Amino acid sequence: MKVTLTSIPVRDQEKALKFYTEKLGFILKKDAPLEGGNRWLTLVSPEWQDGPELLLEPAPNHFEPCKVFQDALMEVGIPWTQFDVESVDAEYERLLKLGVEFSVKPTVMGTAKFAVFNDTCGNNIQIVEML
Amino acid sequence: MTFYENEIKRIKNICFSNDKQLQTVIAIRNFIDSNFDKELNLNFLSHVHFTSKYHLLRLFKRYYGLTPKQYLINKRIEKSKEYLKQGMSVSEVCYCVGFETPSSFSTLFKNKIGLSPTAFQKEQFSQSGPQ
Repeated sequence: MKVTLTSIPVRDQEKALKFYTEKLGFILKKDAPLEGGNRWLTLVSPEWQDGPELLLEPAPNHFEPCKVFQDALMEVGIPWTQFDVESVDAEYERLLKLGVEFSVKPTVMGTAKFAVFNDTCGNNIQIVEML
Repeated sequence: MTFYENEIKRIKNICFSNDKQLQTVIAIRNFIDSNFDKELNLNFLSHVHFTSKYHLLRLFKRYYGLTPKQYLINKRIEKSKEYLKQGMSVSEVCYCVGFETPSSFSTLFKNKIGLSPTAFQKEQFSQSGPQ
């Protein structure tokens, strides 16, 4: 078995696609139509295009418990997932300039530095750098 | 402060309160990162950082979740993927990343990546070549 896909729940796939590609810098890999206007929408990292795909999944619109869980995590500041970056400070400054809102500024914890931002699609996302 | 930030603070106080230990392991990791192509072993690392090798092994594993040797091997394999993609020969890559013989390099590479270095390189070129 191989890990090739992970998913993020989003309320609006088009808005999420714009945020994750235009602000975060991911690259669109697959975009296939499904029923009811939903899409199979996956992204990859520009520097790891054969790596795992990130599925922008409209689950909260179709399955109430997913919406409840997503809202609960959002409310208490828990990240849905995290991405590795070379430099948390540099990414923090870059994203701030693009208008991204952070709930946790760059913080050192043990052998890692991290920060948490709002993806505007219902999730907190953490960026991490190993020290 | 959010629930998440409070939890981070609480865990940090329990698990990451020893600054001296953290500085030691971070310095060791940085040393490995800058010297992965040289002959490194626990005796040498402990000598450089004035600590006993068993203490160093325990500390590194505690904070990074893997032993210095496992970390070094992962680092060398990551670097070798980079060099293979750039078109370097397998034996050149082997010595550039600090392995002693091409056969031990190839065995380890296949074990970790699932392909021999030659097969990995071929796959990269076929992916980036004309369709």
